[in-house]
Amino acid sequence: MDRNQITKWLKAPAKMANKYSLHAIYFCTGCGIIEVPPVITSRWDAERFGVIPVATPRQANLFLITGYVSVKTLRAIIRTYEQMYEPKYTVGFGSCPINGGMYWDSYNTIKHLDKYIPIDGWIAGCMPRPEAIFIAVTHLWTLIDKGMANGYVRYKKNYEFYRRNQEMALGKLDWPSLYPIQSDDEAVENE
Amino acid sequence: MSESIKEQLESTFKAVVITDSEEARIGVNVKKDQVLAVLSFLKDRRFDHLALVSCVDWIEEKEFELVYVLTCYMQANEEHTDQESLHLIVKTRISRQSPQFKTITDIFPNAEPYEREIHELFGVKFVGHKRLTPLFLERDYDIPPFRKDFDTRKYVKDLFDNIPSIEIEKK
Repeated sequence: MDRNQITKWLKAPAKMANKYSLHAIYFCTGCGIIEVPPVITSRWDAERFGVIPVATPRQANLFLITGYVSVKTLRAIIRTYEQMYEPKYTVGFGSCPINGGMYWDSYNTIKHLDKYIPIDGWIAGCMPRPEAIFIAVTHLWTLIDKGMANGYVRYKKNYEFYRRNQEMALGKLDWPSLYPIQSDDEAVENE
Repeated sequence: MSESIKEQLESTFKAVVITDSEEARIGVNVKKDQVLAVLSFLKDRRFDHLALVSCVDWIEEKEFELVYVLTCYMQANEEHTDQESLHLIVKTRISRQSPQFKTITDIFPNAEPYEREIHELFGVKFVGHKRLTPLFLERDYDIPPFRKDFDTRKYVKDLFDNIPSIEIEKK
């Protein structure tokens, strides 16, 4: 273990443990998922960085969105994201989640993913190399250290806006809201 | 098989036009009331594999073109014939104003998802199809999105670009 980090471990052991055991939900969307099998197997071996894929969102705290997001996939992404336990980190992988990429004028592809769920970091490229995932992971460590990877906090704080954007894209959502939303009538009463 | 499939088709059906594009690919243009007869005729002559049903939007001619691609499976006990590498492309034109056609699921049951897809993306109604429910799309569209007059850029501008980003909303 790095001696310089001993003070960090003593100060916030839970945070450090979280940071060095990022469990990535094995959620496949788009073409970028083809980069993940070499990353987790022997060639690049993501476990050197503490990243392993897990099967269910209940065990995961890292959400890699690996490629274009269709309207139907967005529904699954939101449901998966809301099932994950905090602290949870989201990384958009490839240029399509950033601004639509080559599907910028497609009728069925979500253009800016950060309008619907909070994103902690982006990996640009089409496709990014597997090494880019490790750069993103080490960068995410820095962000976690500084307390800047706070997507789940932002989600809780601005849940009203996120939920409204989700409903604009998907229509009526058929699951209850994760956090309580103050409806307009209640807001008027409180005033 | 002494007579080739091309000659058989021409002798049986009068209105069939054969456009011979390549050696292993034969285009067959059929009037729309003869499609079912031609397809079942071909199915009896070992073209029993429907590989694809597709649709083309000819917007200037105000017509949809339905395309059925037929091939045949290898049969182990018979001798190898040229027919096994042959693709038959049956095409027909239907009106674009009220797009409606008969289903072919009675002849080829595997046409069901293809016809659902065409119904969803082009708006062609297949009479007699048992399950014309949505297949891929999540939203409702005014014009089915694969038609040529569907303006994708306008649609993206109206829907996705109008959704505000979170930073703007917080202010």
